[in-house]
Amino acid sequence: MSICQDLGLNFQHRMGANISQLERDIGSEQFPPNEHYFGLVNVEKGKEEFDNYMQQDAHEFLNFLINHINEIILAERNQSTLKVQKNASGENVTCNGTAPQNAEPTWVHEIFQGTLTSETRCLNCETVSSKDEHFFDLQVSNCYRFNLIYKYVGESYGFGGRWSWNTSITHCLKCFSDTETLCNDNKFKCDNCSSYQEAQKRMRVKKLPLILALHLKRFKYMEQYNRHIKVDGIGRFPLGWGCFNTSDDAVNPDRLYDLVAVVVHCGSGPNRGHYISIVKSHGFWLLFDDDMVDKIDASAIEDFYGLTSDIQKSSETGYILFYQSRDASC
Amino acid sequence: MGTMRKKTQVSFVIRDEEERRHKNGVSSLQLDPIQGRLYSAGRDGIIRVWSTATGVQDRYIQSMEHHTDWVNDIVLCCGGKNLISASSDTTVKVWNAPKGFCMSTLRTHKDYVRTLAYAKDKEQVASAGLDRAIFLWDVNTLTALTASNNTVTTSSLVGNKESIYSLAMNPPGTILVSGSTEKVLRVWDPRNCSRLMKLKGHADNVKALVVSRDGTQCVSGSSDGTIKLWSLSQQRCVSTIRVHSEAVWALLATENFSHIISGGRDRLVIITELRNPDNFIVVCEETAPILKLCFTADQTGVWVSTSESDIRCWKLPPLNSLELYNQNNYNTNNVYQTQPLHNIPGGPAIKHYTVLNDKRHVVTKDTANNVALYDVLKASKLEDLGEVDYEEEVKKRFKMVYVPNWFNVDLKTGMLTIHLGQDETDCLSAWVSAKEAGLTTENDQKVNFGALLLQALLDHWNHPNRVNEAGQRVIGNSYFSVPLHTPLIFSEVGGRTLYRLQVGDAGGETEGNLLVETVPSWVVDVAIEMAAPKLNKLPFYLLPHSSCQSKQDRQKKDRLVANDFIQCRKVAEHVVEKIVGGGDVNGASAGSGRASANEDSGNDAPEERVELLCCDQVLDPNMDLRTVRHFIWKSNVEFTLHYRVLKQ
Repeated sequence: MSICQDLGLNFQHRMGANISQLERDIGSEQFPPNEHYFGLVNVEKGKEEFDNYMQQDAHEFLNFLINHINEIILAERNQSTLKVQKNASGENVTCNGTAPQNAEPTWVHEIFQGTLTSETRCLNCETVSSKDEHFFDLQVSNCYRFNLIYKYVGESYGFGGRWSWNTSITHCLKCFSDTETLCNDNKFKCDNCSSYQEAQKRMRVKKLPLILALHLKRFKYMEQYNRHIKVDGIGRFPLGWGCFNTSDDAVNPDRLYDLVAVVVHCGSGPNRGHYISIVKSHGFWLLFDDDMVDKIDASAIEDFYGLTSDIQKSSETGYILFYQSRDASC
Repeated sequence: MGTMRKKTQVSFVIRDEEERRHKNGVSSLQLDPIQGRLYSAGRDGIIRVWSTATGVQDRYIQSMEHHTDWVNDIVLCCGGKNLISASSDTTVKVWNAPKGFCMSTLRTHKDYVRTLAYAKDKEQVASAGLDRAIFLWDVNTLTALTASNNTVTTSSLVGNKESIYSLAMNPPGTILVSGSTEKVLRVWDPRNCSRLMKLKGHADNVKALVVSRDGTQCVSGSSDGTIKLWSLSQQRCVSTIRVHSEAVWALLATENFSHIISGGRDRLVIITELRNPDNFIVVCEETAPILKLCFTADQTGVWVSTSESDIRCWKLPPLNSLELYNQNNYNTNNVYQTQPLHNIPGGPAIKHYTVLNDKRHVVTKDTANNVALYDVLKASKLEDLGEVDYEEEVKKRFKMVYVPNWFNVDLKTGMLTIHLGQDETDCLSAWVSAKEAGLTTENDQKVNFGALLLQALLDHWNHPNRVNEAGQRVIGNSYFSVPLHTPLIFSEVGGRTLYRLQVGDAGGETEGNLLVETVPSWVVDVAIEMAAPKLNKLPFYLLPHSSCQSKQDRQKKDRLVANDFIQCRKVAEHVVEKIVGGGDVNGASAGSGRASANEDSGNDAPEERVELLCCDQVLDPNMDLRTVRHFIWKSNVEFTLHYRVLKQ
């Protein structure tokens, strides 16, 4: 178990490194020499989804990585169960039928997976339906209200395309559970009404994961520019916090979290740039930049809030934040 | 942005020619006391007219059909001469009420029209809905509209920030109030379209409103469960009435504004004295949430409509006796009436459906647990199966056959509506063997379900291109026709209705011209020009089976492409002709292979010479490729078949 947790973090802190580097890490250091893990990235390389020479999105990669590890574990699990059952037909025909899915959660789930409850109330019949959704990371974006604020700032101060506003992650997370109205072309298909109706929807956290990954949506599609613009200053991310807007039946509503790693995106646009990462290890904050590793002061993390006026610095902004649950000390 | 034209889809409703009962909830009621008629607005898209005369066994008079989605509200105006209706199809329609035909359609709204208000003295109607706009209509202008003179000027009241769910005007038309998800009441002067005030106090959506004749008082019913009495002259809430345990959806005030009758989600009809809210009586308990209340002609009873299809009339207590009941320790567990005075029974709404694997038959279950079987291709109901086990009926009809999806089912009206489009579900994607579909006894004829149906739906349309070289009219679908009463609807996908007509009326000149304007080119191509839709190609690999000891071509992986509906027999023919027969030991076997493929005579049929396998399972020669891929291969990639030679 503790290996697994280390692993989770090690995956993360190498986000800044390129993929072959990561592959080497995974193969040699963290895993027992198991060929499956060597194949981890190669599988997709054939499809050139994560080509070394292409610009990649760290969040997409994280998703891919988590899902892929999970798939490998499940496949291994299935194989071992199949071996027990099989050997009757004995032929090596590759059957592509869906193998019995092993629904048991893997350690990937145990570490990263949380549960959200979405409650939807149809505005016609006023029936409330709720649905649980699992997540591996929470997307934190500027909610509608913040949109207005930063537009205002941008327009009146003539920032000329560099959008800026100041708020905190904790505030954004609060907005996460704000009520959203499903209307216009986005109406809700109400089972009770058998038709599309307006509805009010809100998301609440039902189960918090051991490692909470927050994906800061820094890229916003701007119609007037017809492209994605990097949005600075989603703001300060605290080194530790708790207190979520959790649902009434939440499993672990008072979990406290500490910041343990940050994937930082350097660059002004969404289509290019460089990733570096900062990781807390044995009480020290380390900055990984390709093959460079520096010890940094905790206060230096503020540089990555994306709030400074220093153009050079402000382009280096936290993109994915990893928080570790305080009770996960094993 | 916004300029992209939405794609047009074709829809039709599978139903009886005459639907004498509401098939879904009833959103609104209007009484014509002079003619003794009750108008009811159905969520089945139909407005029905009923006789309120005493002693009438069958109250049904007629149906007013033209809407294509829920009718949310109606008002009867001009002394019963005209009816205005508001619908989720985003239109407002003007009707000749006695004759029941639609005079004109107003398409000003951009989203569901939820509510109407009527100022009787001025013959003015206001409409509002989810597009947040309120439009004011002069009824006399609306009824004067003709095909050539069809421009209406309307005043609009702007400023609402959220979807409007309720409206009210006083008879002289000096005050208009709107209720919305914004939780506030907005008050206007409709004479100059000026905003008068905003009244805060409710904690949720405002779904019902009434204004007193003089425009000084207003009563609101909200999803927060309360009823509030407002003084518009003092701009404040006078009292909050908490008699309901759930959302209040319907309100009806007595003429002198002394009492309010209310109904809502808790299914209770309650009458309350406005100046003394402690005096209230539960008139009756309905079987479903209450949507609308309407007085009888003598005001001693109330017609009640709910989210179910029955409409009932209940006796009201004498207004001066409320206090009396209250003093007798009257409580909400008791109701004043347990039996209605009158009942206009509705029919059941279809609530569940399953499209069978043949992608042609649909099993449905309605609110009365009746199970029925429909044939979508012929737009008709095949069988009423009665109150049987729905799951069992579906299971019983399971066939191991795979046909691509080509239509979408919609139950919003409680009747079966089928949408044919070219979006995620391409209605031209299902090619089948005509013999398998039972349309012909001949072999080797393929038909496209969607094309056949579009041809049948538009068979009566005299399109100028529908003639052959000899000048004769070409019949689109030579296999079958669909019922002439079938409503045919052209609409933007997920949006506004463009045109509705009955299949049998497409031959008319006016209808023909409107069809030319509305029918999208992809429909004209298949239904009129008889262009054959694209065939679906299915790539697959063909390999000798490992048990097959053929020495040559062991490792050769043939990548082939075929129509997705071809049978395994055809693949076996290919193996016999091209692989086993053609390339093998002697020419003689190749020759016989060809002969058997072409003439099917003398020699063994190809399926007796070669068998096909997928995932080690021997395939039925009658099974088609897409079925093999779906049920046996169970994946979309690297679809692989193996062959095994039985006889050389």
